[in-house]
Amino acid sequence: MQAAAPSPEDKIVVTGFRHFFDTADGPVQATDFLDLCIRPGEFVTLVGPSGCGKTTLLKAIAGFIRPTEGTIHCDGKRVAEPGRDRGVVFQELAILPWRTVRRNIGHGLEIMGVPRAERDQKVSRLIELTGLAGFEDRYPHELSGGMKQRVAVARTWAADPDVILMDEPFAAVDAMTRLTLQEELARLCAATRKTVFFITHSVDEAVFLADRVLVMTRRPGRIKAVIDVPGRGSGRDWESFKLDAGMQLIAERVLRLVRDERGATTPSGAGAPPAAARA
Amino acid sequence: MSVAAAPSTALPGGLRGFKILLPFAVLIAIWWAVKAGGGIEDGLLVSPLQAWDAFVHLATHGVLAEYASSSLRMIGIAALLSMLIGVPIGFAVGTNRYAAHSLEGFLRFLQSISGIAWLPLAIIWFGFSHTTTLVIVIYSLIVPIIFNAMIGVRAIPENYVMALRSLGASRFRLVTDVYLPGALPSIVVGLRLGMGYGWRALIAAEMLVRKGGLGDLIFGARTFGQIDRIMVGMIIIGCLYIIVDRLIVQPIENLTVARWGLLRL
Repeated sequence: MQAAAPSPEDKIVVTGFRHFFDTADGPVQATDFLDLCIRPGEFVTLVGPSGCGKTTLLKAIAGFIRPTEGTIHCDGKRVAEPGRDRGVVFQELAILPWRTVRRNIGHGLEIMGVPRAERDQKVSRLIELTGLAGFEDRYPHELSGGMKQRVAVARTWAADPDVILMDEPFAAVDAMTRLTLQEELARLCAATRKTVFFITHSVDEAVFLADRVLVMTRRPGRIKAVIDVPGRGSGRDWESFKLDAGMQLIAERVLRLVRDERGATTPSGAGAPPAAARA
Repeated sequence: MSVAAAPSTALPGGLRGFKILLPFAVLIAIWWAVKAGGGIEDGLLVSPLQAWDAFVHLATHGVLAEYASSSLRMIGIAALLSMLIGVPIGFAVGTNRYAAHSLEGFLRFLQSISGIAWLPLAIIWFGFSHTTTLVIVIYSLIVPIIFNAMIGVRAIPENYVMALRSLGASRFRLVTDVYLPGALPSIVVGLRLGMGYGWRALIAAEMLVRKGGLGDLIFGARTFGQIDRIMVGMIIIGCLYIIVDRLIVQPIENLTVARWGLLRL
């Protein structure tokens, strides 16, 4: 395995993570001795076939589930429960429908007991940053899917966690909006230098956002390959990403690795369709 | 233009009122016809007009207000206590998967034993007292409240809870910020159902306990063969329930549904 040996500076270290679920048909193994290190300020994306244990891994890092075997450390401390040092953005249905945009975004600050004035100021800045200006006092059911996800992202950023875990946050959004949200996220991450762990089905999305792409095997999941993506810098945009031959080569390589795991209908190797097919 | 538009918007409202009142008008007409046409004596059935006279008599002598307020006070106290006790129980059960599983059948079992069926035991335990009435009414009210609070909590998407926990929310925070608002529409449905059961149980308990209330009024009137009082009492029981339901419970329900919007997506 290419996973680097954990160093003390690593933000998140997962070692020997093996997890079983209890189902009616007996225990199902989700992951198999999975190792993973994420460095501070790094944007790591994880792709893999459906049901390979991606979400299980994320939930374990978040502290929602306790690993059957193995350990997870964040900042050298063993993860035992959810905490505000690890913010989570879910695929959907996670902002509260009975709170306005402003009160949803400020929820984490409210829980921390941040004074009203300071809270309002931080929330207003994030509303600007995420393009939600003018919608502060709307309820979620009055917003489009894309805007709801902006609120969810802004809420997590407002609480200012060190680590942000994202579980296919843009999967339920229409394709055009998704491109915009991805660019916005790339900029936001570049500006705030957060450590991000991002799960996706989309190879293009994984390569576009990442410093490093991890490819998982099918269930029980392990890390199959680690691919470095150079030059995230201040965030990417889709036009130049599509025209960048180097990027497209990386995307193709990742796609091939993922397809092999899905028992793809087309043979692996030469002739794999361009990554654009997944956009 | 505006002159023509005015009646067309006013008409549906009037039509709705007419539709609601029509069955009542038909019932009164039949009642009248049976009384007048059948030549039934006053000891068995009074005419609507005689009932009206009895109503005016009861109302002007303060008797009605006393009996009705006794019933309303009782249902009010019972509703309040049932919410205070029932909602936390419902939450405790709803947030614990195992408890919910084992208690669901038990709650359904309790729901099938009506409050009235508890009256014999309650009278033995608490005597012919307000306590007996209150216990019976709370029992009738609280089961649907517990049940719906439980269902309401279980219907809340797990993501809401997980998202708040990763924002550092305490258990208390989860209750105030997620469980209560999330389950409120369901709790109000439970309250509304419970009020229906509770009101019926209240009248029945009052008839046996005989310590005031509309049930006492109509059962007492039977002793003296006051058919007019019995019928007025029955009508008041129905009307008061509609008033409480429409003026208090339903507005709360509408408010939560409107605020919460397309919660069901």
